[in-house]
Amino acid sequence: MNVGNVLLATAFTVLLGATGILARAYLADDDRHVGYVTILTGAGAVALAGALAQLTYQFVVTDYSNAYVWNNTADYLPLLYRVTGVYAGNEGSILLWAALTVLVAFTAGVIRGFPDRHSKLVHAITFGIVTYFVGMLLLQSPFASIRTEFANAPPGYIPTSGEGLNPLLVDPYMAIHPPVMFISYALLTMPFAIGAAHFVSLFRGDGSVFAAWRGSVTRWLRVSWLFLTVAVALGGLWSYTVLGWGGIWAWDPVETAILVPWLFLTATVHAVVRYRPNDEYRILAPAMTATVFSLAIYTTSIVRSGTFRSVHSFADGGIGISFIVLMVLTSVLGVVVPLAYWFLQDDEATGSDGAWLTRDNLLHAAVLLFGLLTFVSLWGLSFPVLRAAVTGVEVSVESHYFNLWSYPLVGVALLLLGFYMDFDVEGRRRSLAGLAVFGTAAVVAAFVAPSEIWQLYPSPPTQSPIYGVLGSISVLSILPPAAYAILGVTKRALARIPAAADRGAVFKETGITAIHVGAVLLVLSLPFMYMFAGQASAIATGVASESVDTSYQDVAGTDYSVRVLDYTSNEFPQNPEPESYALSTDQVAARGPSLNGTVQAVYGTVTDVRRGPQATVIQLDGSRTWVGVIQRNETAGNFSVQTGQGLVARGRLMWNFVPNADATVLASPQAIGSPANPPEGVVPTRVQVDGVSLAVYEDGKLVTSGVAGQREYPQQGNMQVRDVLIDRGLVTDTYVIAGVSDGTASMTVKQVPLMSLLRLSLVLLVAGMSTVLVFDPEHGIQTLTASTASSTDVEPEATD
Amino acid sequence: MKPRKALTIAFFVFLLGIGYLSMHSAPVLSDDNYSYHGETEWRTDFSEAEQLASEQDRPIIVYFWTTWCTYCEDYNQYVYSDPEVQAELDDFVKVAVNLDSDQGEYGRLQQRYNANYPPQHVIITPEGEQLVKISGYADREAFLDYLAEAEREYDAGDNQ
Repeated sequence: MNVGNVLLATAFTVLLGATGILARAYLADDDRHVGYVTILTGAGAVALAGALAQLTYQFVVTDYSNAYVWNNTADYLPLLYRVTGVYAGNEGSILLWAALTVLVAFTAGVIRGFPDRHSKLVHAITFGIVTYFVGMLLLQSPFASIRTEFANAPPGYIPTSGEGLNPLLVDPYMAIHPPVMFISYALLTMPFAIGAAHFVSLFRGDGSVFAAWRGSVTRWLRVSWLFLTVAVALGGLWSYTVLGWGGIWAWDPVETAILVPWLFLTATVHAVVRYRPNDEYRILAPAMTATVFSLAIYTTSIVRSGTFRSVHSFADGGIGISFIVLMVLTSVLGVVVPLAYWFLQDDEATGSDGAWLTRDNLLHAAVLLFGLLTFVSLWGLSFPVLRAAVTGVEVSVESHYFNLWSYPLVGVALLLLGFYMDFDVEGRRRSLAGLAVFGTAAVVAAFVAPSEIWQLYPSPPTQSPIYGVLGSISVLSILPPAAYAILGVTKRALARIPAAADRGAVFKETGITAIHVGAVLLVLSLPFMYMFAGQASAIATGVASESVDTSYQDVAGTDYSVRVLDYTSNEFPQNPEPESYALSTDQVAARGPSLNGTVQAVYGTVTDVRRGPQATVIQLDGSRTWVGVIQRNETAGNFSVQTGQGLVARGRLMWNFVPNADATVLASPQAIGSPANPPEGVVPTRVQVDGVSLAVYEDGKLVTSGVAGQREYPQQGNMQVRDVLIDRGLVTDTYVIAGVSDGTASMTVKQVPLMSLLRLSLVLLVAGMSTVLVFDPEHGIQTLTASTASSTDVEPEATD
Repeated sequence: MKPRKALTIAFFVFLLGIGYLSMHSAPVLSDDNYSYHGETEWRTDFSEAEQLASEQDRPIIVYFWTTWCTYCEDYNQYVYSDPEVQAELDDFVKVAVNLDSDQGEYGRLQQRYNANYPPQHVIITPEGEQLVKISGYADREAFLDYLAEAEREYDAGDNQ
């Protein structure tokens, strides 16, 4: 039992205790022991934070006695990426998730306390979830000993080098993206607990939970939306810069998995705004609130449990199964219970008088549209798995499935947004006229394709007529709805901002305007960016030799030409300090017989050399550690051994192998050398970086220059990652991918339009939501700090 | 009917419609024996392909792909659907390897030909010796050039 596991076990015990006390207090309506809950959960939070700190520390000092550390890092990596290793695998990311969730749950508990039965139930659920996460970690611990990897190694064995980090994660975006995403998922726990508690309470005849918590729910949802948006954006930008072949969005399963909760969260934020205790949204808003987290768990399960890679890998690893169980639990609480309640409650009261055109109905349509968009992504993620599991037939979900189904929905959503905003300002007749004009324009534009390139997907690979119709739509059709939406949003902002009651309301309106304009720009930039991205290739030869071909290479079919200026090739790690990869003689003596039979690198100063006919033995530091080299001549590799010199060697370490020595490292001549220039056999190359310095010209004018190429990881299955060169322009990005092999650089120059618009849209989304979050007069952080949480939530109907 | 109820019903009708249509019009990528790309049909059993290739003295083209790879879709749309490419491909025994599959044999092929991202093609002799490798996407002309080069290399090898 090591420190990490003790911390996890402690956290599990105290959190289980807290959950138990709260559950009992709720069920028996008895307040005994509830006073301990805060202390227990505080202790749980400290223990989990401690466990995370301990794991991070082990990564920073590359403590390979921990199997997870050994699997996910290596000494040559800089500090930032050693920390990234913490959440590179399942165990570490669940620890991070759990630690963040317990902080959220603990904070919520402290702010709100446990004044009534409802709050006890809500907190019992959040702490229950954290307890479950910690239970998963006890089953499959991030602190498992290295002996789980090397079952036959002698006790105390610790490798001197790690396996390394997944090369795709060696990127600044990926260092930030996972924590941001897990913060958002952790924040979603609260809305889930409130939504689930609401329906449990309704079923038990204890009345509504949601009404009193509405303000909190709104805040939790908005903060998690903010973080999730940032996470999606970071993920997209990472894929744009790192992969070099996917662009910002490739609809790969992991990307789709994070988009699903984002879309549904967006819908939920809209639904909660319209919640009224006696209206239809009294069921839908809490139900959606509960569902978001279930969706996050569902998509994470699909991606993380190995389900997507293969339907047969359900069984391996505790994490996979625990995720499936968690998925079932959260789906029951978040989806089945609310649905059952809705089904049983057939006498729905509704505030609307049957008129179609009301703000509420329009908003309802928006919520449903977002629901449909979520479904498209969710279904695309699920049906190939389902179908393969049931029939064994593998079907494809290519990006056109997502694009073609989402496109018309997004178009309708934009029209609806424009109409809603217009309706708010202009009233029924004028807004209907506007809708008719822009709607007709969109439909007409759908048939106007200046060339085939304007069509969404002119010849999809299936003969399905529905894809044929959808695929022939011209992207010109997005322009009228986008214009209408921006017009509507701006018009309403101009009408509302001057009329706002106070400073908070002004900021809130501005924020909402920014979010909606951002959303419109986002969907406007996406199709054009993909459809009008152009690419062409050029090849330069003689790159690796002395005679680099520096002439202009025309990029066929474009105005571009490229020039290779220089070729660079580097290997990492470069001459690392011996301490970072080898054991000193003192360390060998300290670890003793546990090293017997293991392969080790050692370093020290040569104090004695004895040459025999078959072998040379070399004493290090006057110690009882010797290096043995089996050879036929005097040199060891290219290294002539003399006393007083530094030496590094790698080989199998034998304990009590020869008299007068404790440890003998049996090294081949290739695995022995000087610490200043260690041979490959001692410090193998981890990263081989090849690149060409390029200059890109358009019509003879320099556009950009820099290095593009690839990184290869020989120790990690020769995995390759591209280093791309991106010139971020106002209208188009110039994007250069270069592959260097056998002295030839093959370069692809891509033009990606409207990336600036996309970046602007992301800034607007994030800045807008931050503003709303802080300044909203009803549910902003300002109101929270100005008054107590419960007093702002007493009369939910009064706000809105 | 109340408007919101009508909207909600329309929502579910749409949802079911999308679900049904998309699932049934999703291109079948593979069944027990073949996987389908563009208008071409690829074997999925490498051993069978090896045997066939040595019986018929034809080179093997191995295609490493995934369901989510955008350039694989470009291959489907712009390369494999081309009749000339199809005619050229007929000279090869075609095997497709889904990089997401956990078939043991696929893992070995992936390692042997160092194919760790999609799309990649290797063209090999029936004995497994590599003739040509296409890393990433090659457009129609480039792809045809690669095929021609592989055939030249294969014929040269035969004459030795």
